[in-house]
Amino acid sequence: MQIDFIAILPEIILTVTALLVLAADLALRGDAKQFVNPLAGLGTVAAIIATVALWGSERVTFGTMYVVDDFAVLFKLLFLGTLLAILAISWRYIAEHRFFQGEYYFLLLTSFIGMLLMPSSRDLIMLFIALETVSVPAFVMVGMRKRDLYSSESALKFFLLGVLAAALMLFGMSMVYGFAGTTDLVGIAAAISGETASVPLLLGSVMLVLVGFGFKISAVPFHFWAPDTYSGAPMPVAAMLAVASKAAGFAGLVVVAFIAFEPVADVWGPMLGVLAVLTMTVGNLIALQQRDLIRLLAYSSVAQAGYILIPFGLARTGPGAAVVNAAAIEAVVFYLIAYAVMNVGAFAVAIAVERRTGLRSIADYAGLSGRSPLLAMGMTVFLLSLGGAPLTVGLWAKFAILEAIAVDITLFGIVLAGFLVVNSVIAFFYYLKVVRTVWMDEAPAGLPQLQPGFNLSAVVVVLMVGTLVLGVLPGLVTDFSSVISIVAAG
Amino acid sequence: MSNFEQWGTLAIFVIVGCLLYAVIMTVNRIMRPSVPSPQKLTTYECGVEALGVGWAQTNIRYYIFAFLFVIFDVEAIFLFPWAVIIGDLDATTRISPVFALVAMFLFIGTLLEGLAYAWKKGVLTWD
Amino acid sequence: MTGHDVVFVLVGLLTAGGAVLTVTSKNLMHAALFFAVTLGGIAGVFLPLAADFLALVQIVVYVGAVAVLFMFGLMLTRAPIGREALDGQNRGLAMAVAGGLFVVLSTLVIGAFGDLPTAEVTGPRIDDLGIAIFADWVLPFEVLSMLLLAALIGAIVLARRETGESGEELTVTRIEMAQDRDPDALEREQAALTSGSGGDGEEHA
Repeated sequence: MQIDFIAILPEIILTVTALLVLAADLALRGDAKQFVNPLAGLGTVAAIIATVALWGSERVTFGTMYVVDDFAVLFKLLFLGTLLAILAISWRYIAEHRFFQGEYYFLLLTSFIGMLLMPSSRDLIMLFIALETVSVPAFVMVGMRKRDLYSSESALKFFLLGVLAAALMLFGMSMVYGFAGTTDLVGIAAAISGETASVPLLLGSVMLVLVGFGFKISAVPFHFWAPDTYSGAPMPVAAMLAVASKAAGFAGLVVVAFIAFEPVADVWGPMLGVLAVLTMTVGNLIALQQRDLIRLLAYSSVAQAGYILIPFGLARTGPGAAVVNAAAIEAVVFYLIAYAVMNVGAFAVAIAVERRTGLRSIADYAGLSGRSPLLAMGMTVFLLSLGGAPLTVGLWAKFAILEAIAVDITLFGIVLAGFLVVNSVIAFFYYLKVVRTVWMDEAPAGLPQLQPGFNLSAVVVVLMVGTLVLGVLPGLVTDFSSVISIVAAG
Repeated sequence: MSNFEQWGTLAIFVIVGCLLYAVIMTVNRIMRPSVPSPQKLTTYECGVEALGVGWAQTNIRYYIFAFLFVIFDVEAIFLFPWAVIIGDLDATTRISPVFALVAMFLFIGTLLEGLAYAWKKGVLTWD
Repeated sequence: MTGHDVVFVLVGLLTAGGAVLTVTSKNLMHAALFFAVTLGGIAGVFLPLAADFLALVQIVVYVGAVAVLFMFGLMLTRAPIGREALDGQNRGLAMAVAGGLFVVLSTLVIGAFGDLPTAEVTGPRIDDLGIAIFADWVLPFEVLSMLLLAALIGAIVLARRETGESGEELTVTRIEMAQDRDPDALEREQAALTSGSGGDGEEHA
């Protein structure tokens, strides 16, 4: 039994780091405990280096269960980059609030191990275990502010809906296994093509599996947990759920939909397309009403998930499908990278403001420009980018989706594009409302200047520069994402 | 042919056990005198009357212990197939004995850190 | 009807009966016990399918451990016990949903697998299972240990009495809106912030 250890080196490094973090927590006392954060950061950097080294090669190991190709490497870099940012914005937040620090970082790293496994998994059982490894630590981290009833409530909602989604998904998987006789994704695709593809039970099972991922990415109508959970969770955990955990859900969805369920793409494609329309419209309309910034960001991230679902709506099967599907996957990957950069940034600013003042209503951001020009600038750039303004990466992300639609124009594609444009306009209303509050409104008297710490400032600056540079030169990422393809030609 | 039939012995044993119980209780019911009275329905025919409800909130430690039990129960389950195959492994099988040994010890070692954590945090002591 | 079929149907009825009683029983503890019966019944379903090892796993893990955990979990709560305990407000709706789901699922399953030819039941031997776990599925197996460890740590973190390293009480996040808030409270808050009692107005990170 040969195992390609290089291929799973990032996962190994992160696992060892997680175990070391837990051991360090047992060994350290008092204020020294906060130094598990840089330890976790070191491990993350090492994992990033190990991942970058995997670029350009295709490694298959554990039979055909685990594939590290450029698609997987891009996703892993996305996760690890997000992890690094979340570690940076967590440090003071977690140390100040006196959480269980070692346990927090251990659970965070464990959750990211699951994410790293996700885009490489080519097996239903592996995918399910990876998904649970993402979810289970997240359930606990959401509920870590134990004296806070909001935190407990949000953890309970997240847990109950999460477990229900996992159960539905497992049920669907068991049925798919019943049809295919294998849990290997490529094997499933081979087994369910032909006549089996029209059996109602198979289509129902496929839907159940997709619903499980739909919960993870908080697509309407499985989004109800998201706003409550984000606003009750510790803020860095909310950022993790909104970005990394959602990206992991999309990674799993891409793998399972475009590889295993490719023969029935004509069924799930339109269904996910309708889900995309619902998700972005409902998300944006509810976001318009929000007065709490975190809830606004939560509904905005629901809407963003709707945009990312659009390329799934284009999926099809049969001759000529490979080109369309490859373009769809590229659009998803590019949008996710852009989304991670701008959304982590928005959460970082929110953490900086909330930590000092304990406020998070949008009205409390009034006059932020006077209190901290850097944070005000950052918030403006991130929100405009989320809206898709020119000169930001957000515009190119939406453009990538339109490009995927343009590969082979269909009526359904045009409808989806129309909804994308209309929704982008709606979204600008609430993004600009926050921006106006930040710059135009007077700050309530007596609020002190905000001087975010070095880590937070660094994260905000790096992400802001990233948003703007990618806004001018999107080729930096699209050149990479255009070479990826996990769909077999033909 | 599966070894399903071997369970037949057990099934017969269980069925006979149930029948025996049913027969004894039925005979008992037929032969005993029947004189119902409300006194017989109280908890004690003599002694102190029970007050309040029979519900007590248990200590959360019970829950943690039960949880630890579940986790290590799952670990034990994986030990069974491992213990069955480990003796038969050699160079000709798909995996070497060293491989299986390392795989199992990584699994156990990871969980042992959890036990060490529980110990250090004092959830195993009872006071 | 072979012996397999008879046993399968009997055990299936036992399992289904336990499941129905679990959701209909008015006493929480009885529900938990019926749940254990259901789990045991599932172990019985595995036996005629020649999956002996799975049946034992079901008994050891689910009947032996999960059901116990379930009951300790129940006893942790201040849940009322007795005849008045469980309300039935959504009973009709739940019955409609469950019944509808049952009809749909059984129609679909019979439609999909109903015409398959019957075959002799053979299950995997335990050494085949062992080889499969340690050769083909060794990666999920190792990841599972991390998952179990995370679950263990998480349960301990949430179940311990302390809130964190220092044992301090955590402040409750205010998520009400600024304009809805008691004006005096806002003033007091701002006074506290400017006077620096909530921190020194600067941060070092």
